[in-house]
Amino acid sequence: MLEAHALRKEFGSVVAVRDVSFRIEDGSTFGLLGPNGAGKTTTMRMLLDIYTPDGGSVTWNGRAISEGMRRRFGYLPEERGLYGKMKVRDHIVYFGRLHGLSDGDARTRTDSWIERLQLQEYAKRPCAELSKGNQQKVQVACAAVHDPVLLVLDEPFSGLDPLNADVLLATLNDLRRRGTSLILSSHQMWQLEQLCDRFCIITGGENRVGGTLAELRAAWPTRVIKVEPPTAALRAVLENVPRARPLPTENGALYYEVPASTELPQLLRTLVATDEVTRFDAMEPTLQEIYIHTVSQNAAAPARAGGSSD
Amino acid sequence: MLRRLQSRAFWLGLIFGLAGILVLMKLPAFLDAYAAQSNKIVLAGDSALTARAKPLLKGDFPISATIPPLRAAPTREDLHARGASSIIALSQARDGLHVTVYAQDPSNAQATDLRRDLLPLNLQLRTHLAERQVHALIQIPVTVRSVSEKFGTVAQANAARVIAYMLLVLLYVLIIINSQLIMSSVAEEKTSRIAELLVASVRPSSLLAGKVAASVTLAVVQMIVWVAAAYAFGMQASPIPTHSGDNDVAFSLNGISPADVAGFVVFFILGFLQMATLFAAMGSLINRTEDLGSVSGPLFIPVIAAFFIALTALEVPDSPGIVACSFVPLIAPFVMFARIVVTSVPLWQVALSFAINAAAIWGIALLGGKIYRIGMLLYGRPPRLGQILHLLRG
Repeated sequence: MLEAHALRKEFGSVVAVRDVSFRIEDGSTFGLLGPNGAGKTTTMRMLLDIYTPDGGSVTWNGRAISEGMRRRFGYLPEERGLYGKMKVRDHIVYFGRLHGLSDGDARTRTDSWIERLQLQEYAKRPCAELSKGNQQKVQVACAAVHDPVLLVLDEPFSGLDPLNADVLLATLNDLRRRGTSLILSSHQMWQLEQLCDRFCIITGGENRVGGTLAELRAAWPTRVIKVEPPTAALRAVLENVPRARPLPTENGALYYEVPASTELPQLLRTLVATDEVTRFDAMEPTLQEIYIHTVSQNAAAPARAGGSSD
Repeated sequence: MLRRLQSRAFWLGLIFGLAGILVLMKLPAFLDAYAAQSNKIVLAGDSALTARAKPLLKGDFPISATIPPLRAAPTREDLHARGASSIIALSQARDGLHVTVYAQDPSNAQATDLRRDLLPLNLQLRTHLAERQVHALIQIPVTVRSVSEKFGTVAQANAARVIAYMLLVLLYVLIIINSQLIMSSVAEEKTSRIAELLVASVRPSSLLAGKVAASVTLAVVQMIVWVAAAYAFGMQASPIPTHSGDNDVAFSLNGISPADVAGFVVFFILGFLQMATLFAAMGSLINRTEDLGSVSGPLFIPVIAAFFIALTALEVPDSPGIVACSFVPLIAPFVMFARIVVTSVPLWQVALSFAINAAAIWGIALLGGKIYRIGMLLYGRPPRLGQILHLLRG
């Protein structure tokens, strides 16, 4: 289990991370969300011991991150690069060796990753000759060739076309099934929703909300009710719900925002009693809505975080 | 190291280095032969006089022909017609030998050599002594006795100086080339953005140490190949002339002891580790490869200064300033090596210099490691010195 406790990092007068804490269970997938400059990359670098925290601690199974542990982690940074003249296969082998694999083992695993990421036809070509998407796949292979216990991916989907994004998504799901703990940051919320077990939203260098999607939804103060058809009787029922707020009508349906504490079965029974209702949906907030709400709520908070490193 | 070993630049450097050494070893002899061929000199004068002068001149002047006394001063065309660069006209007068040189290039007339070479003939003409008597008069026995513990003979001392000079050039070239290579390799990793992937896999200090160690290993391999090639080529080369003329030195390792070779290797490694670490650390601050020159420029100053101080050390190895320089980090590897070869340096001085420079490596590695760790992830506007110092304190 990875545990980050009260992490803090300053660069001169800039506080990049003020107070970030979370816990990641073995084999789980964790989504680290936040706007640009929120401190995600700095937090990831502290998790990997690239930066030494100015405050707080990072532990893996209760112990501080050592050189040996760090070799068992994998990292795909946001700013990616390859040795342009090195051939794809040699490149992946080289990173396998850097992570402590024997030459033979590194080669065997490299071939398996080349096959998994459909890079066979490029294996003997210099990295510089590959398209951006294929280069990104090579970088994923470099980060994961040693079968890390923890794989940290900073914006893994950025710059990928939908086909390559699907290949990456499948690969990450495969790693998850095999027990690798994943930490991801991404602005593609739907992909994170598919992948992650838990989330943490940070803004201004502090974590604001965290938990599973169900927990985040449970903490959401309202629900959106969709009712069809938009008749006066149905509208009257909805208007009677305490603190209900009408939303713009779309595609012949009524939308109302009601408090999360509203007794939905009771509301449904009242609507059915009108004999007019043909459709009733109680829509839970999406991750994107929760994210936007959290970020905009905290936008006014003092946020001096950021700087050149994130 | 494997990447570097497989790189085209390493092999091209090694091969061009070998070619350069071959050229340097063969060039003096070739140039001498070429100069002798193109510098034809005609001796003019009475046949009895030229017959006596020719053997005296042959060491310094390639006489291609002798001709009767000139009736008039020759023109440039006359010299061209005879294929000569100059005509030495000899004549005998009451006050002895008269010599006139008609040269296409008057600065090349070698008047001093002429006076020295023709002195016996002039004495004979003025004093009418026998040749044997004149020889006896001008041959003053001079014996050079070495009081140095280092060299038994002048020839050994000259040989050592020549070898030391060559090794200093080699040291300079190897440090300049390899430090530049390590710097550009670090800058490439940073500008290609692979640095973050690397420092996530391996500690920056380990990465830096690995780079420097690989670089020093390959530089030692290069050095061994080049020294072996120079030795092999030098064995066939003609003697290297010295100013005195009578102590010409063949390139051999006779003038240099195993202790000197050990000194060279040890101080080469010390110097290389210091410079390579500094260059690598500074390379991590570069965001664009175009900035390589401006960052590396100031770092070359101590290397160039050390080289010139070491050349002075070959001449005055025990002067107080040179002795002091042989302890100063970055300079000492050159200066102490030069002193070791040409004089008997007290063991305590060698040991102290080694200790200071080894400690300096430790200090430079600590500082370089910090700069490298910070610099590798520092993007955007190049940091100012004040910012670097601030980050280092943090």
